[in-house]
Amino acid sequence: MNPREAVSMAVRSIRSHRLRSVLTVLGIVIGIASVVTFATFGASVEAEVLGDLEGSGANNVYVFASPEDDDGFDRAVQPLFTAYDVNQIRDIDGVRAVVPQGIVQVSAVTHGNETVARQQVTATVPETFSNGSTVAGRPFELGAAEAVVNEEAATGFRENLSVGDELRLELSDGGARNVTVVGIVNGTAGELPVGGFGQQPRIYVPADPFYRTVVESPTVGVNQLAYPQVTVVADPARTEAVEQSVAAYLANESDAGQLKSDDVELVARTSGDFAEQIGDVIGQITRFVTGIAVIALVVGAIGIANIMLVSVTERTREIGIMKAVGARNRDVMQLFLFEAALLGLAGSAVGVPLGLVVGWAATRYAEVSFALAPVWMALAVAVGVLVGVVSGLYPAWRAARVDPIDALRHE
Amino acid sequence: MGSASAAPVVELADVRKTYYVGGVVEAMAGVSLSLDAGSYTAVMGPSGSGKSTLLNLVGGLDTPDEGRVTVDGRDLSTASEDELAAVRGTDVGFVFQTFNLMPRLTAVENVALPLVFDGWGRADRTERARELLEDVGLGDRLSHLPTELSGGQRQRVAIARALATDPAIILADEPTGNVDTETGDRIMALLGELHADGHTILLVTHERRIAEHAERIVHVRDGTIERIEDLGDR
Ligand SMILES: Nc1ncnc2c1ncn2[C@@H]1O[C@H](COP(=O)(O)OP(=O)(O)O)[C@@H](O)[C@H]1O
Ligand SMILES: [Mg+2]
Repeated sequence: MNPREAVSMAVRSIRSHRLRSVLTVLGIVIGIASVVTFATFGASVEAEVLGDLEGSGANNVYVFASPEDDDGFDRAVQPLFTAYDVNQIRDIDGVRAVVPQGIVQVSAVTHGNETVARQQVTATVPETFSNGSTVAGRPFELGAAEAVVNEEAATGFRENLSVGDELRLELSDGGARNVTVVGIVNGTAGELPVGGFGQQPRIYVPADPFYRTVVESPTVGVNQLAYPQVTVVADPARTEAVEQSVAAYLANESDAGQLKSDDVELVARTSGDFAEQIGDVIGQITRFVTGIAVIALVVGAIGIANIMLVSVTERTREIGIMKAVGARNRDVMQLFLFEAALLGLAGSAVGVPLGLVVGWAATRYAEVSFALAPVWMALAVAVGVLVGVVSGLYPAWRAARVDPIDALRHE
Repeated sequence: MGSASAAPVVELADVRKTYYVGGVVEAMAGVSLSLDAGSYTAVMGPSGSGKSTLLNLVGGLDTPDEGRVTVDGRDLSTASEDELAAVRGTDVGFVFQTFNLMPRLTAVENVALPLVFDGWGRADRTERARELLEDVGLGDRLSHLPTELSGGQRQRVAIARALATDPAIILADEPTGNVDTETGDRIMALLGELHADGHTILLVTHERRIAEHAERIVHVRDGTIERIEDLGDR
């Protein structure tokens, strides 16, 4: 029998049981839509996060302490990296700049007659602004009573900050300092590229004179400024080598290595490392959730198989008639297989767009931009048809084997 | 159709068939019979004597346990499933007591069904089905579903279907069993025309009056041939 005839007969048979067919297809629709939804949402989140990472310096090596057995997302705030370490790292081949970052505890920041409560400002060096993200003004100078703010901080006041404005910082040790805003930036080289979605408001002040955290350097034996985090700006062609050298230095000779407690680990990571790590985690979550959605698909498949089996029993006599007028086993098989495959295809045809719409809505809700997961989508359609075929296989085989004599006696 | 030469188109040689459903039933207990091309044979016997079994064996719907069934020179006892399907599709045409029409297909589609499996295109087979329905007097019922037709009309659709692939042999199992006498006569007249056209006809009935339309009557009882009664050329 011509496959086109088989398709047209299968379509007829599906249409003659409209409600039943719709209900059967519904199972597949839900399964496919769930898979597409989760896969699309996962791909969107991943694209968003990785996009953020790509935006930050690919030639930066981030140095920080991380609790062991951790994925490294927690920023340990222990000040471990001494001025000695900073200098040693600066001497490593291929290093262009070293940007230490520390935290200065404050209780409030005043602009004009508006005071906002803040826990901390970031103490760092002018090199942190060397990544070309300055929006207005210039970097601060070390030793000066100056500050740089990011755009989020600049717009965080009722009256937007602009270059030249005065800020009053209430330090948590009781004192207060006036600083002049000299620059507005959009991200810095010093920040870890894992700030989450969107940037936090930040105020940057010069390490000298604001940063006061000191520890005794085990190597030099005197009190030195010590930072919880250091960013190494490397020669772009040698980022990997620098990463390795820095890691080797940290492991072997650093003050930080001697100061750290046993349960933390010193790590040097590039943004590529972060991207890989985050991609892995998101990929794992996506696969897990999508896997659960696949269960829905399996349930849908069982629905098709069930209906096809009922259908074979119901149509036993018709199968007998077809065989009596010359239908071969494979013709009968084809009819039922096509019917099942069409149900699966219909499920995909409705399920994929539905999944995309729900996935899109989820990205709106989570405020990430929408990205397609074409491989998963193609897979979903293939799986839909496959599910139809596989679940139709046994019923079709049963149909093909129907004995015409028994079938014609069947009521 | 070819002329009524004396060459046998169907031969049964010591055919046996036993069913084991709910006890052992020897439906065919050693039957030998041959049908000449263009002949008209009736099989008569009480209910359960094995008439339908005989017909089904000749039509390739069933296969013998022992013995040989030869149709058009092809031995059905060793034929594959596909070969049996081909026999059912093109060598013989079945007419059943209960019509056995596809309930969701129209008259034209029912008649065209054997042609679907024989690989005909849609236009050709619709045309052929229409002609056949006109030949059996149903030119005005082409698009009716079986439920919209009377018993006699349904049986005529079934006869048209049996003729679709132009088989040499027509197998009719109690074709008048479900219609009134007058309609039955009309069906028998149609079979007579087919015989006149050169078809070989094997008719199963338990009514003497119906069997007398044939050239000879094969009397069966308990799965064996009791006697063969020759009615002469009519
Ligand atoms: N498919 C079958 N399964 C079991 N028994 C059958 C089957 N077909 C026929 N029989 C039995 O074989 C015997 C002959 O049946 P059948 O040829 O239909 O008789 P008839 O057509 O003369 O009434 C009966 O006893 C019937 O019950
Ligand atoms: Mg019978």
